[in-house]
Amino acid sequence: MTVLILTSEQDVTADMVVAQLQERGVPVMRLDPADLPGKAVLSADYAHGDFDGHLSVNGHVLSMAGLRSVWVRRPGEPAAHAAEASAWLTAETRQALYGMLYSASTRWMNHPRNADQARYKPWQLRIAHLSGFAVPPTVITTAPRVAQQFAEEYRDVVVKSASGPPPDDPGLALPTTLIGPDTDFSAVAAGPALLQRYVPKRADIRLTCVGTRLFGARKRAAPGQIDGRYGDTGYHWEATAVPERVVKSVHEYLTLSGLAYAAFDFAEDEEGLWWFLECNQGGQFGFIELETGQPIAEAVALWLARRTPDRRLPESRR
Amino acid sequence: MRPFTLNYAVPQRVPAVVTPYHYDASRQLNVLPDGRLAVSDRALLHAAGTTTSTAGSQTHFDD
Repeated sequence: MTVLILTSEQDVTADMVVAQLQERGVPVMRLDPADLPGKAVLSADYAHGDFDGHLSVNGHVLSMAGLRSVWVRRPGEPAAHAAEASAWLTAETRQALYGMLYSASTRWMNHPRNADQARYKPWQLRIAHLSGFAVPPTVITTAPRVAQQFAEEYRDVVVKSASGPPPDDPGLALPTTLIGPDTDFSAVAAGPALLQRYVPKRADIRLTCVGTRLFGARKRAAPGQIDGRYGDTGYHWEATAVPERVVKSVHEYLTLSGLAYAAFDFAEDEEGLWWFLECNQGGQFGFIELETGQPIAEAVALWLARRTPDRRLPESRR
Repeated sequence: MRPFTLNYAVPQRVPAVVTPYHYDASRQLNVLPDGRLAVSDRALLHAAGTTTSTAGSQTHFDD
């Protein structure tokens, strides 16, 4: 039974898991959907009321009957590396690949259906509410007056992107930025703005979840620091205990979202309360493991290698 | 009119990442020029920055 890892060749974070699986003698196939068609080959048969399918790449072959689990790590767009690449070929190849994988009986980390939904930041905030997290007041709006009123009510607010920086301009970053009520909000009419009450923090928290295992990491914030992803403060990530209340909320969030893997970001305030900022269904963990020594790659490998579903978990998280 | 959020975009230096390892298709792992696995050199991975939360931000919006 083989673990299928969908990711790019350059992904060394995936290497950390592949090495763990190989040490345990668990067969692995590593495939970048961008290499299909071409370097990778696919065939799926739907005949006589039955189904089977095969994938091959670089001399490795996988039958859908022998599929143990799928880790959707950092896959490229299907057919992106094809000689005659096009949007149509990508759509056709996506149908062939993911349609075949959905036909197989397997466990997913994470199922694309759940991952797609989990990427929506406004939805994350609602699920965080329902899970019992402390969530900073937030508004997403295209109405300048609503944005103005929000800023006047909460005074110190941050603006952040819901989807990340513009994908067509790698030279631009969009760090979370502190703004005040004197800001000119007229441009909110030209595009949705996500505003959130600023949480003065003493630390950033990254909580990585693998199935039911939690790995908490904490990094002190520099005075006045807004976005912990940018700028070198001289502080490093250190392992930290996860408060019991947060543990309960995390398990509720994962149940509601159907995620087997997630990386939560919190701001720890002066009283030590963890404020939910976001939950990244495909969040990086390599840098946390390298700095804290927490065995996250091993936990991912053990989850992927497991043969029997965990009956305590809903189907989508098996 | 420029969308409000883009008023807070800042230029960033896009580092020319030169990774001192290459993908070995038979092992399905990246290896160093001397044949060792890239993941065996944790200091190198850390320095390369390819495992950080902003490493994939331009192509993946959940880092």
